[in-house]
Amino acid sequence: MRHVLLAIAIAAAAALATAFIENEFYLRLLFMVCVYFLCAAGMNVLLGFAGQKSLGQAGLFAAGAYGAALLTTRYDLDPWLAFGLSAVIAGLCGVLIALPSLRVKGPSLAMVTLAFGLVVEKLVSQASDTFGGAMGIYAIKPLAFGETPFTMAQWVWFGIALALVTHLVLRNLLVGRFGRAFASLREDEIAAASVGVAVYRTKVLAFVIAAVTCGLAGALVAQQNQYINSDFISFNLSIFILLLVLFGGSGSLAGPLIGAVLLVGLNALLARWSWIEHFAHGALLLLALYAMPRGVAGLLLDLARRLMPAAPEAADAAAPLLPVRAQAPGAGALLEARDICKAYGGVVPARDVSVSLTRGHIHALIGPNGAGKTTFINMLTGIVVPDSGTIRFCGDDLKGQAVHAVAASGVVRTFQNLRLFKQLSVRDNVLLGAHARMENGFLASLLGLPSARRAEAQAMARADGILAFTGLARVAQETAGSLAYGLQRRLELARALAAEPVLLLLDEPAAGLNPHETAELGALLVRIRDQGITILLIEHHMDLVMTICDHVIVLDYGEKIAEGPPAQVKHDPRVIEAYLGTEDTQEDAGVPPDEVEPAPSSSHGGARYGALRAAEGF
Amino acid sequence: MASAYLQIILSGLSVGGVYALVAFSFSITFTTTKTLNFSQGEVVGFGAFVGVAVLSLLGISALAAPGITEGLGYLAALVGAGAVMGAVGVLLFLLAVRPFTGKPGMNWVMSTIGFGIILQSLGLAIWGPAPVMVASPFGSDVIRIGDAGIRPQEILIFVCVIGLVVVLDLVYRRTTFGKVMRAVAFDPDAASLMGIDIRKVMVLTFAFSCALAGVSGVLLAPIASASLFMGMGVALKSFSGAMIGGLNNPRGCIYGGFMLGLLETSVAFWQAQWREIVVFLLIILVLAFRPNGLFGGTVAEKV
Repeated sequence: MRHVLLAIAIAAAAALATAFIENEFYLRLLFMVCVYFLCAAGMNVLLGFAGQKSLGQAGLFAAGAYGAALLTTRYDLDPWLAFGLSAVIAGLCGVLIALPSLRVKGPSLAMVTLAFGLVVEKLVSQASDTFGGAMGIYAIKPLAFGETPFTMAQWVWFGIALALVTHLVLRNLLVGRFGRAFASLREDEIAAASVGVAVYRTKVLAFVIAAVTCGLAGALVAQQNQYINSDFISFNLSIFILLLVLFGGSGSLAGPLIGAVLLVGLNALLARWSWIEHFAHGALLLLALYAMPRGVAGLLLDLARRLMPAAPEAADAAAPLLPVRAQAPGAGALLEARDICKAYGGVVPARDVSVSLTRGHIHALIGPNGAGKTTFINMLTGIVVPDSGTIRFCGDDLKGQAVHAVAASGVVRTFQNLRLFKQLSVRDNVLLGAHARMENGFLASLLGLPSARRAEAQAMARADGILAFTGLARVAQETAGSLAYGLQRRLELARALAAEPVLLLLDEPAAGLNPHETAELGALLVRIRDQGITILLIEHHMDLVMTICDHVIVLDYGEKIAEGPPAQVKHDPRVIEAYLGTEDTQEDAGVPPDEVEPAPSSSHGGARYGALRAAEGF
Repeated sequence: MASAYLQIILSGLSVGGVYALVAFSFSITFTTTKTLNFSQGEVVGFGAFVGVAVLSLLGISALAAPGITEGLGYLAALVGAGAVMGAVGVLLFLLAVRPFTGKPGMNWVMSTIGFGIILQSLGLAIWGPAPVMVASPFGSDVIRIGDAGIRPQEILIFVCVIGLVVVLDLVYRRTTFGKVMRAVAFDPDAASLMGIDIRKVMVLTFAFSCALAGVSGVLLAPIASASLFMGMGVALKSFSGAMIGGLNNPRGCIYGGFMLGLLETSVAFWQAQWREIVVFLLIILVLAFRPNGLFGGTVAEKV
């Protein structure tokens, strides 16, 4: 609430100041601050939160500006209606740029946005029949009260009001479910999908938000000037919009305002020397990236933190029960995988693997390195699509479903090499786990409706319950990446639990833990199982597997070689052979000659160090 | 009609040659450092002006008639632009790339753009915004082949590019340095464990990449006239060529560059003003079906 009041106070102060300014030049500056604030506010969602580098925002500015221009001149629409429609046009262009992001990522996507900006620049300067080229379009209808067009002061007031509304609705969005989803894209897309964030859709949404605010800014400029030409649209504008966010404070709510005020001021000072202005933009861009990755807002925030340290979190309360998804009590197996095959050329991580998981059991998936265990989990969660076979979960077909849809249906995993959202807080990581379980939609979140607030509050309470259950409540405010390794492992488990899994898939949850931590983990897993959550874990710690598991499945070179209760499996001759090799080949470094090639997982060096651990466990 | 096709092929191959060089320059930094210079276009434009500066230092007027001195002067301009832009490449790597390599967030995309803006504004301060005409050392009389025509500079570009490409390919495949570059591209960690100074390799790669871009600028100047703004379109089309060929594949990039040149001249023959727009739309289509390019292998992220 303090934030909202502060924002309103700043806007009111600016509006009051406007009433006393008579100099047209200063009014124009204020107006441009509003225009660039709008561009930056949307760009901050795209760049600062979702982490997508768009280098073609000028094209979206153009979409709004030319949209308003053509609608009021060629089609003689009402200026207010044209203003609204131009935002829609820009939003559609935003979808257009976001489409390639389904297939291309990283630098290539950045180049695509750059190309989009350039195409629009060429279009408006060369297709002069429609867009007027360098001559431009005159007599654009300005916004007006009845018949009287806005005065300059009224334009500034309108700009301030629009900026305030934009800021407040974007804030509603960013502090909750959608803000976290955007940030998860910036951090790790695979992990985001695995907790149920619809990666592509969320990315498109971020592009559209940036496009709409940029389009509004363009329409504002076109209708205020009553004129637009191709000189407005240049690569420099795209870079300036990028700079507004980076310099002001990328990923901070105050960043766009700080950036807009400082940079519009700087431009006004340097406007006389165009190359120095250009140089300053380049230098500031480098400076912001180098010296202040979170911009001026980040510097101010650090200062504030030093002056007022945050209150410490309460210690772990008594561990409560986990939130559990209501399950239809079904008969038969929870998950039934039949004849799963997968091959990468000569490497075959799955060959006719059939597995059946029983409700309420802890299952273990063991086998030497390169046996295909992680690939199996990847196939269950949709990250890898099997070549053939079927996967049925609670009667539904999982094969071919998107990763986030699998997670939403209750099959949730952790990763062997930890994929936390490292820059986010521990609590936000857990809240992201609950993403697919939250029901507040886009509009409710944007407008801050009571239903959205209720959903946020409930999710917060559930997250705190899970943090207490896993013993992480003390570190709830820390950044995930700053935790000790053992705690990071536990946080991944907590994040998965927040998704209220029906089936929990754990990829080597005890890797790197010491014996004491491993025993703690075992107790925790039993408590989770006792709440009715079925578990499948990949593990090399045989003592852990033998103590807590109800059922063990053994893979070797993509084939299931044994399964059954732990006591039975550990005496199975084929299992002993897979782990230790047979008599006659032991002199030969323990690798049976017929299995020398191919080494299935070269990144592990193909070494069967699991054998040593297995020997300890037996 | 046949002469029209011949014309398209001739012009396409010469402009495609420039794209091939710049596409190759993207590819070598991308394979070794997983980064590339988003302001390669500014390097092309700046390089062209360095070439102009060398010519005027030698007292050769920009509109000189062809001759031996002019030919040697042009050669000096090529070498000068290569050397100066090579040094700029070292600066680029140290200032804008190295601080951000190997970190998440791709901040190097924006820092290389920042570097390019600084470079361009310095160019504007020194030479001003006006484009400069540069004469080809072999004159501007169009050579007729049937009904198709080709300018001597276009032939020169084609010959230079083929020569450079063959040398580069040999260096990349046959020499120790090439092997070192490929090793770093394949696995930097393993390469450094084998005693390869990967930072030195990365610096050299960037120097080399920018030198190639600078040379491309001088090659292009007699056709398109030198301008500090000439590079953006060239760089984008070259990058598109690199994407078609597969950024991870230097040879593919060269093919991709030539293919893009041919594509562009074909579209321009049909509708000149739509050429950029159609070309970029086609690139997006190609990427939709083959995200790693026509000659690029697939790269899967390990989970």
